[in-house]
Amino acid sequence: MSSDFQWSLRGRCYKLGDNVPHPGGVIPLSLITARETDPKILIPKLFSETDPGFSTRCRPGDLIITGKNFGMGVKSTGYIAMAALGLGLLCESMSVQAYREALSTGLRVLSPCPGILELCERDDDVEIDYRTGEFINHTRNLRKTFTPMPPTLQELVAEGGTIPWLAKWWKTTGSKEVSS
Amino acid sequence: MGFTAIEKVLARTSGQPGVRAGDVVHPDPDMVMIHDGVVREIKIKLDEIGINRVRDPGKLLMVTDHEVVYGNQRSADKGVFNRKAAAEWKAGRFYDAGRGGHGHIFPMERGMVLPGMFYFDNDTHATNAGAVGAFGLRVGSEIARVLATGTTWVQVPKTVKLELKGRLGNGVQARDIGFYFARMVKSGELPIDLDYRVLEYAGDLDQFSLGARVALCSTPTEMRAAGVFVPPSNEVLAYCKAHATRPFEPVYSDPDAEYESCHTLDLNAVEPQVSRPGNVANAVDVSELAGIEISHAFIGSCGSGMYSDLLAAASVLKGKKVAPNARLIIVPGSEQSMKRMTDEGLMQIFLESGAMVMPAGCGPCNDAVVGPVGAGEVSISTATNNNIGRFGSKEASLYLGSPLTVAASAVMGRISDVRKVPLDAALFDRMEAAYVI
Repeated sequence: MSSDFQWSLRGRCYKLGDNVPHPGGVIPLSLITARETDPKILIPKLFSETDPGFSTRCRPGDLIITGKNFGMGVKSTGYIAMAALGLGLLCESMSVQAYREALSTGLRVLSPCPGILELCERDDDVEIDYRTGEFINHTRNLRKTFTPMPPTLQELVAEGGTIPWLAKWWKTTGSKEVSS
Repeated sequence: MGFTAIEKVLARTSGQPGVRAGDVVHPDPDMVMIHDGVVREIKIKLDEIGINRVRDPGKLLMVTDHEVVYGNQRSADKGVFNRKAAAEWKAGRFYDAGRGGHGHIFPMERGMVLPGMFYFDNDTHATNAGAVGAFGLRVGSEIARVLATGTTWVQVPKTVKLELKGRLGNGVQARDIGFYFARMVKSGELPIDLDYRVLEYAGDLDQFSLGARVALCSTPTEMRAAGVFVPPSNEVLAYCKAHATRPFEPVYSDPDAEYESCHTLDLNAVEPQVSRPGNVANAVDVSELAGIEISHAFIGSCGSGMYSDLLAAASVLKGKKVAPNARLIIVPGSEQSMKRMTDEGLMQIFLESGAMVMPAGCGPCNDAVVGPVGAGEVSISTATNNNIGRFGSKEASLYLGSPLTVAASAVMGRISDVRKVPLDAALFDRMEAAYVI
């Protein structure tokens, strides 16, 4: 695991409600059905249908903080863009299959974070440590500790997601093993 | 505190004395399944890294069920790629087009998916394994990691128990229970969130043969369940023992297992259901929709592709004709059922009725590669779901019903109550014993 990986993110809060659908609510459906995976193409389209220009205004470290059932499904398209922009994601809840897809892209994501929407408003100065689960709202001087990212999944995120993780695994371990 | 069935299966495959819902484990699966629709993208990803083998070829089951009949050169090229992939990966079992059928049906019929098993699958409908008391878990594109390393992370799902009480009424089938259940959850009468839960059935289950148990697994999957579990009956165990390709040990939840919640459903209250377009949970009693003219009907899919489903259809169609305004497509779940249909006279019944029989596999239910609907058409089918555009035009109306309801509607040319259509009693009575040894 990269020792210099940034587990703690601090930036502005981008607050969303419950049941935000992946198609339309996160990224246009056309890019999902096209199975587009190129971050350069996806970045300008992140939240483009609900907040045009989002990608030009956000900064690395900003935290997307959502209500329940974020992403609603098993698509990973929008998470690729979030990861490439250096954003973090904190959800009251998301489908475990959506969580799997998000982690697979290397996105720093914490779910479930029950009650987090009550602790922040848009543009608050917020901070999260994904390894300890400690959340701080510097604007409102609020703190809460959520269940951290499971240690067994930290390596996956630190390597940048499933494919980079697999590439490293193959180089260091897999290619030396004999197939059973 | 005891353990649920999924906790026991994941403990065994993870080499741990006990795991609990919420734990993250890396199970060593009994099998790994991948279907023809995704082999290409997965293999290209692995090849780019240089991963030119799979960890355990003996566990790999590759199936061609999504595009069985190549409708164009793109599909045929994909078939070429997939055969090359199977050879390079040294796949232990490869059931190509025309060899097996639907990957979520024939492995159960042929004793490859057995009680107590755990396997990884790229596809959501792996939950069908619950019909024999096994677990198949969808991991989507992470099947690449499973193929390469042998495993991936799994969060142990919580389990919700649903007790079925009473007996199914006249003309009511297991698919109707699923639609009715989804309707009750949507309306809030059953306060359940199935997202990534295992739905475990309990109660009066002996009335459900293996074929009906497969149907019980379908709709909860569309409600985003991670798994469905039907505790195997002696009848199911006997079938599995007679066909087993490997030893197996059935697993059951302990009496004091921890369920997230427990609910009951009164089967006596269930009428034949039809789901309005858009979602499985849009179900209503058939009487509310009876009379709507249809032009497309389809019986098959992993939800209704067992031999008993074909018997249900035949019991309606025998001696009748598909209405002039409708076309009926029948897709058996397996090549085995296809042969049996021919041996036992069902094929003749279907052909004489004017129905079209397609090769075993997913049929129209996979992205309309065959038998789609056109704009403005009205369809009733046993597809897994009726999400807009599921099989063809987004301008079409897709209704869902049981095999009996769909067959009756095809004959009448409009959505119909099967209880008002005469059935062939001899064929109907054979349904229950379709998988009895």
